[in-house]
Amino acid sequence: MAVFDTPEEAFGILRPICVQLTKAQTVENVEQLQAQLRTVSDSALQELQQYILFPLRFALKTPGPKRERLIQSVVECLTFVLSSTCVKEQELLQELFSELSTCLYSPSSQKPAAVSEELKLAVIQGLSTLMHSAYGDIILTFYEPSILPRLGFAVSLLLGLAEQEKSKQIKVAALKCLQVLLLQCDCDDHPRSLDELEQKQLGDLFASFLPGISTALTRVITGDFKQGHSIVVSSLKIFYRTVGFIMADEQLRSISEVQARPSVEDRVAKLMVHREADWVKNTGDKLAILIKKIIECASVHPHWKVRLELIELVEALLWKCSQSLVQSAGPLLMVLVGLLNDESPEVQAQCNKVLRHFADQKVVVGSRAFADILSENLHSLATSLPRLMNSQDDQGKFSTLSLLLGYLKLLGPKVNFVLNSVAHLQRLSKALIQVLELDVADIKIVEERRWNSNHLSASPKTATRPWSQIQRRYFRFFTDERIFLLLQQVCQLLGFYGNLHLLVDHFMDLYHESVVYRKQAAMILNELVAGAAGLEVENLHEKHIKTSPEELREIVTSLLEEYTSQENWYLATCVEAEEMGEELTMKQSGLQAITSGAHTCQVASFPAFSKPSPTICSMNSNIWQICIQLEGIGHFAYALGTDFRLLLMSALYPVLEKAGDQTLLISQAATSAMMDICHACGYDSLQQLINQNSDYLVNGISLNLRHLSLHPHTPKVLEVMLRNSDASLLPLVADVVQDVLATLDQFYDKRATSFVSVLHALLAALAQWFPDTSDLGQLQEQSTGEEGSHLSQRTTALQDRLENITTAEDIEQFLLNYLKEKDVADGNVSEFDEEEEQSDPPKVDENDTGPHVEPPLPLQIQIATDVMERCIHLLSDKSLKIRLKVLDVLDLCVVVLQSHRNQLLPLAHRAWPPLVRRLTNDDPLAVLRAFKVLRTLGGKCGDFLRSRFCKDVLPKLAGSLVSQAPVSARAGPVYSHTLAFKLQLAVLQGLGPLCERLDLGEGDLNKVADACLIYLSAKQPVKLQEAARRVFSHLMKVDPDCTWFLLNELYCPEQLTPPHPALHPVRLRGGPGPQNPYAANVLLLLRELR
Amino acid sequence: MAAPPDPQFVLRGTQSAVHALHFCGGAQGREHQRLLSGSLSGLVHIWSLQTRRAIATLDGHGGQCVIWLQTLPQGPQLLSQGRDLKLCLWDLAEGRNAVVDSVDLESVGFCRGSILARGQQRWMLAVPGRGSDEIQILEMPSKTSVCTLKPEADAKPGMPMCLELRQTDSSPRPRLLAGYEDGSVALWDVSERKVCSRIACHTEPVMGLDFDSQKARGVSGSAEKALAVWSLDEQQALQVRGTHQLTNPGISDVKIRPDRKLLATAGWDHRVRVFHWRTMKPLAVLAFHSAAVHCVAFAADGLLAAGSKDRRISVWSLYPPS
Repeated sequence: MAVFDTPEEAFGILRPICVQLTKAQTVENVEQLQAQLRTVSDSALQELQQYILFPLRFALKTPGPKRERLIQSVVECLTFVLSSTCVKEQELLQELFSELSTCLYSPSSQKPAAVSEELKLAVIQGLSTLMHSAYGDIILTFYEPSILPRLGFAVSLLLGLAEQEKSKQIKVAALKCLQVLLLQCDCDDHPRSLDELEQKQLGDLFASFLPGISTALTRVITGDFKQGHSIVVSSLKIFYRTVGFIMADEQLRSISEVQARPSVEDRVAKLMVHREADWVKNTGDKLAILIKKIIECASVHPHWKVRLELIELVEALLWKCSQSLVQSAGPLLMVLVGLLNDESPEVQAQCNKVLRHFADQKVVVGSRAFADILSENLHSLATSLPRLMNSQDDQGKFSTLSLLLGYLKLLGPKVNFVLNSVAHLQRLSKALIQVLELDVADIKIVEERRWNSNHLSASPKTATRPWSQIQRRYFRFFTDERIFLLLQQVCQLLGFYGNLHLLVDHFMDLYHESVVYRKQAAMILNELVAGAAGLEVENLHEKHIKTSPEELREIVTSLLEEYTSQENWYLATCVEAEEMGEELTMKQSGLQAITSGAHTCQVASFPAFSKPSPTICSMNSNIWQICIQLEGIGHFAYALGTDFRLLLMSALYPVLEKAGDQTLLISQAATSAMMDICHACGYDSLQQLINQNSDYLVNGISLNLRHLSLHPHTPKVLEVMLRNSDASLLPLVADVVQDVLATLDQFYDKRATSFVSVLHALLAALAQWFPDTSDLGQLQEQSTGEEGSHLSQRTTALQDRLENITTAEDIEQFLLNYLKEKDVADGNVSEFDEEEEQSDPPKVDENDTGPHVEPPLPLQIQIATDVMERCIHLLSDKSLKIRLKVLDVLDLCVVVLQSHRNQLLPLAHRAWPPLVRRLTNDDPLAVLRAFKVLRTLGGKCGDFLRSRFCKDVLPKLAGSLVSQAPVSARAGPVYSHTLAFKLQLAVLQGLGPLCERLDLGEGDLNKVADACLIYLSAKQPVKLQEAARRVFSHLMKVDPDCTWFLLNELYCPEQLTPPHPALHPVRLRGGPGPQNPYAANVLLLLRELR
Repeated sequence: MAAPPDPQFVLRGTQSAVHALHFCGGAQGREHQRLLSGSLSGLVHIWSLQTRRAIATLDGHGGQCVIWLQTLPQGPQLLSQGRDLKLCLWDLAEGRNAVVDSVDLESVGFCRGSILARGQQRWMLAVPGRGSDEIQILEMPSKTSVCTLKPEADAKPGMPMCLELRQTDSSPRPRLLAGYEDGSVALWDVSERKVCSRIACHTEPVMGLDFDSQKARGVSGSAEKALAVWSLDEQQALQVRGTHQLTNPGISDVKIRPDRKLLATAGWDHRVRVFHWRTMKPLAVLAFHSAAVHCVAFAADGLLAAGSKDRRISVWSLYPPS
């Protein structure tokens, strides 16, 4: 837009206005000039600079009162000119500087003149522009000693503005201008960097202002947070730039003791400062106070940019003035250390960068002074730590621990200087132990029980830090989760840099010293080891050599041994009676005791009971203890990686044992520890982990079985192992089963429960691993399906016959068939049946055993035989719980052995007497289970069983049913709670399916039917009626015709019309009419039959 | 005796009765220590004592019982004697496991062989010979027969049951201790092919013997209920020093720990018994196995292993040598 390129043209345009302005100094004229100036090119303007400046300067210099508005516009116009031109003469520069400065001069006071804010802003900008417009070296010659008074005036003026003005804009501008004035400007206009001599001269000059600048800026920085972060940021910047320039070690080093005589008048010379050693020391002392104030204020400034700038300050000062500001080094480092864990990621990152930079350059560790300061600080922090942890709130603890963490990071390997001092290590550990104390009053921990045993199906998740989702912990002395994270990091760093042997020994001593310390010590030990592996630690000290894997393994091995030792691993975590589970009732009372305890814990209104009972607290504490140790094992695995495989032989067993623990928390912790192990050792799943290390487990199981009283949980481990392994382990399993059985033989009376459940798991596993090819289950389904269809066919045929108009021949044929069938049934039953029976089993036998030599039995058959042998003994155990479980095991034994009749039959024979007693003379529950066993047995040794059943059991059962029927028919509603009722129910429930399975003959079926018929009466309790109906439903499947007849004998709902007129009408005994007590049930059944 | 100790660990997986045990490679630390086991099914398992797992299985005896295992002092070579009438020499260096040589035996008895190093690469081997009472001495690895030791016609000691080749510092002549079926122990001078001395220690066949050359004292176990301790005097004469009665008959193996502090016996009564070797004071009865113990072995570091018919190998750490 510049129209006038040449000076001549421009002159022509500008001259009239300049003249006019000189004559009449009005705002309008100034503005007119400024408007015209815009049309002149920069080069032309440069030529005419002096000319144009004249009227403006004249306007400023004219004595007498002036209107502010005019001065402002003049200054603005001047600024405009200067912004487009350079000042090439030093004199002009000086004069303009003075003229601009005096615009704000008020002779009456020290403070800046009370003028409008706009004017102040204009002047500040003018000054700033002026300094920028100084051409080349002019600027340097400007800063000669003689300028000192004027410069000083401007500096104090700007500082005053920055400090006292209300307008944020002015403050910022003043600070900016100050920066320019002190040659610390950020912009690119300053052509070159200063050489050493120039720097020194400038430094000498500026040193005079240092006290003023530093104190004023400190006041600004420590001022109200509300003043806005940008002012604080700029002030911080000027502070460190100025201080960093004047106090730079590099400059100070070359300063001689004797002051060179400056070639200026005395008045000025007095202002000059000589930066000799004493001055440096004094100034350093004074600055230290200011720096401390600044740090205190800025490090907690709410705005992150301020904290970021503070880091810059620290970096600049530590970098440039580490010697001159040695007193401040401590506080300065503390800033870095403290901000390492700042909440703002930018600040953290910058802090890390600076620390890394320092570490690289050996600023801290390389210089003894710094290392000493840091150690000193750490010493004093360690000393005060216990007190601080005791008295501070969460925020305070957070910053204190952040500081501790920072020191550790900075000191790196040198942290050992502190750790080697016994007193300090003790202080440090005391503080850590104290602050990590857990709150163990939470009652839920003891209460929560694991009921589901199939928890091991989970596969390890691919989390980088597998133990991040641990159970929330509650600490007595803090609630903030971040504090725990900090503590973790502190411990990890200690483990990483510190002498691991020393630390582990120390904390192990504490672990042993008292139960009070044990949990915390274990937590710390866990983190120490994790830290020592150095997987999570950010190493600032590249040269630092980590603990070697061998050493680490050694330490971990000893810790593991300690953790899993008898006295630290087997702690009481629940009421003992419940744990043993010997008695159902005991168990219940145990639970009640705990829950009632829980109530007293929670009810705070009763002061007497408000405290949790010590036992529950101690159990809680024990639970945590075990969880922490389990977590530790996970950490160890994580730390050692695949090296941990070697430790599996001692670690896996105890962990697995805890995985089967009743307490939810422990079982969870153990599972997550196993996940960690999976990760570390490279197993895909827990199953794989268990499966591939079964040999180690078996070793543990077998050895512990020898001392069952010491290791009552051993059978549980085997149980878990069995659930998670496959048929490939059979030889190992067979081996350990021998031990189990041998131990069981020793402890029949005391610990049968746990063994029986192991046997159950074992047989269930065997049944699953070796499904019989001619599977009983399949057969069963098939046969029932067949029977069903068969039945329906028969009934429909019958119905067809009955419903269609039948001929006499049909009837004759039917009767003939019937007679023939009856004949067969009466005379040739056995032969016919035997043929059928025998055609099946020999095939199976041939498959399994050769004709000549009997090969050794498969292992699973041997095992099942051995187990069944024990079951026979245990069937008569005193405890109902055991009897029930044994019946289940027996059932499974039969399933496994079904293809080996040679083994099964003799055993079944021996098992028979106690089984009969279960059927005829036991708790209803046992009766039911015994029926189930009979059913399974019936599938394979039906023949044998049928006769025995009919001979030994059926008469007794039928008899008891018949004799009890009148009692139950008369009984009131309370009867259903009696044992007699339950027995009746059990027998009725069991009989039906068994009859069907055993394929009983007609006579025996009649016995069953006779005994059950009475229960179809409406007088019987409803449940018994239902059960009886179910018996008949089963009977229908075996012999529908007979059942039909029987039912109709009881109650005949309709008149039967003969199919052919030649036949007599049939009258059945069952009377019709609704008063018949059997009507309802018979009707239901007949409907089903049809 | 206080509470009986437990095995340190148990090795499972041979899948058949264990008849021979031998430790090797303990010098370089536990990591390299191996336990070799020979089983009834003819397999030799190599166990790592660090991981407690079998690291290799050698199958060279056609399913016939392996009764003797011995590594050669020079380098990683293993001798295994099986009841298939073969003695195999295995190369185990660098994870190899191949038969490099084999010797055909002529006796199918239970007698384990014995070796004696004779210089850098040469060694002498004693095995039961062709005749039922003969012992054959071979020069290895050339397999040349040195001599056959046949008892005098009127002696009738029966079959040799166990052998122990040895050489004292005082005399370079190799000597052979042999336990016979009739319960006698004989000392043979191999080079002169004659019996130096012979004593009747037992009334039943000698099942195992071991000799402590420093104390010049030996021990033998037999099918009867006693251990015999005997000594050898300067004149190469054997003398019975005493017998030690046991509760149950039948000892299938005896071993003296390399530091000569302990003696372990493998019993048919499923027990391993440990004695103080000098005083023969019984120290422990190790009850773990559920069938006859067939063999015991000591490692250089004092670890004791016992192999049993119950297919397990138990490893014990007892009175660890300081």
